[in-house]
Amino acid sequence: MQTSSGFFFTFFNVDIAVQYLPALAVGAAVTLGTGLAVVLTGTVLGVALAILRALECRVLTLAIVAFADVLRSLPPLVILIVMYFGLPEVGLPLSALFVTWFALSLVLAAYTEESVWAGISSLPDGQMEAARSTGLSWWSAMRWVVLPQALRRAVPTLTNRIISITKNTALGSVVSLNELLNAAQGASSLSGNPTPLMMAALSYVVIFLPLVILSRWLERNWVRC
Amino acid sequence: MGTNAILEISGLRKQYGQTEVLRGIDLQVDKGQLVCVIGPSGSGKSTMLRCCNLLETPSSGRIVANGHNVLDPKTDINRMRQDVGMVFQQFNLYPHLNALDNVKLALCKVQKRSADEARKIAMSALERVGLGHKAGAMPAQLSGGQQQRVGIARAIALAPQIILFDEPTSALDPELVEDVLGVMRELRASGMTMLVVTHEMAFAHAVADKVVFMDGGVVVEQGSAADIFEHPKETRTRSFLARYANRLVH
Repeated sequence: MQTSSGFFFTFFNVDIAVQYLPALAVGAAVTLGTGLAVVLTGTVLGVALAILRALECRVLTLAIVAFADVLRSLPPLVILIVMYFGLPEVGLPLSALFVTWFALSLVLAAYTEESVWAGISSLPDGQMEAARSTGLSWWSAMRWVVLPQALRRAVPTLTNRIISITKNTALGSVVSLNELLNAAQGASSLSGNPTPLMMAALSYVVIFLPLVILSRWLERNWVRC
Repeated sequence: MGTNAILEISGLRKQYGQTEVLRGIDLQVDKGQLVCVIGPSGSGKSTMLRCCNLLETPSSGRIVANGHNVLDPKTDINRMRQDVGMVFQQFNLYPHLNALDNVKLALCKVQKRSADEARKIAMSALERVGLGHKAGAMPAQLSGGQQQRVGIARAIALAPQIILFDEPTSALDPELVEDVLGVMRELRASGMTMLVVTHEMAFAHAVADKVVFMDGGVVVEQGSAADIFEHPKETRTRSFLARYANRLVH
């Protein structure tokens, strides 16, 4: 009984939870907003790069492959730190929010490009040829015939990447972005109690579980054909 | 060259690196004609066909399709392709769209027809190939013969002046071949101009207005179906047809 109430006092302290709820709510909003922005810009940029790569222009392809390979080999944390602490040295001070959003968007774009490109290049040439043979422009054939099929093929790897990279908004805490984890750490050291950290963990589940469930649904209902 | 020509090919050459696949092809298809191209695998038949709507870029030569100078850089290729339909060996239906939407796509996106109009035209094309009742079916739910007939509907819906058929029955189970050939006979009867690369000798013999025998990237011999099948002049034509005759016997 004694140990049990000690456990609750330490990890699920109601008074502390109530006290720091507003601060954590702000942090959660920042995490959610940054995450959504990263998903949007990262996937749009990634799909655009995959389409440009399908043009099969050598210079363009080389640049896109180099971009994707470099960004996939760098740890996201390194990109964040270099941008946040390095760029001001060359006269380019950037806000923590911008750096977190921009760095993660680029990383997600690199992975999205690879997944979507894999989808595009796995389609038989006959799909593009059939579409072009009916008079569709290259772009229309891409838009209405190739891309819908390529995206379906990319969904399983893409949803996993989106989830794992979006969770990296937590890295924003390192560059003092006031997101969920940072808010929780601050609250936790102020109060001398880990309850805010538990609240943050729960919030992550609340924010990301729907995304995980949505990805399962997409994989089940949209991947066919 | 006759004034009735829908398709005129002259001096057509195609090289892949050092390999010359087409070595000067001359061929004419007149309005309403069904011309069959026969010949051994690797003779350049399909490459020749694919040059006609620029799925392959010829190395040199001249192709005029329904008045479009195909190799002129100023020619609007997408406009030309609406006049020159194509049916593929592997059908190449769009697997994510149902039969009706497969046929409708170019009507909507290329010819910019209203949804309602496109639907009507697509339905009548599907009915022409006997698949009006399968409009809502996905390609994966259709047999090979049905898929190929949707492929033909997709081509005829755009009201082309000529349709190119690239071995349209080669990927089909034998019992489904006749379905597709039947549709092609009906198209022929309705006056559609067709250039057909095929291994169906009986079909070519019975239906073709002209038969072209290709081997090694050249037209070895061309003439009426009776000329080619009953009185071939060239040794290469005779030995090719003899091989086919033997195959039919076995």
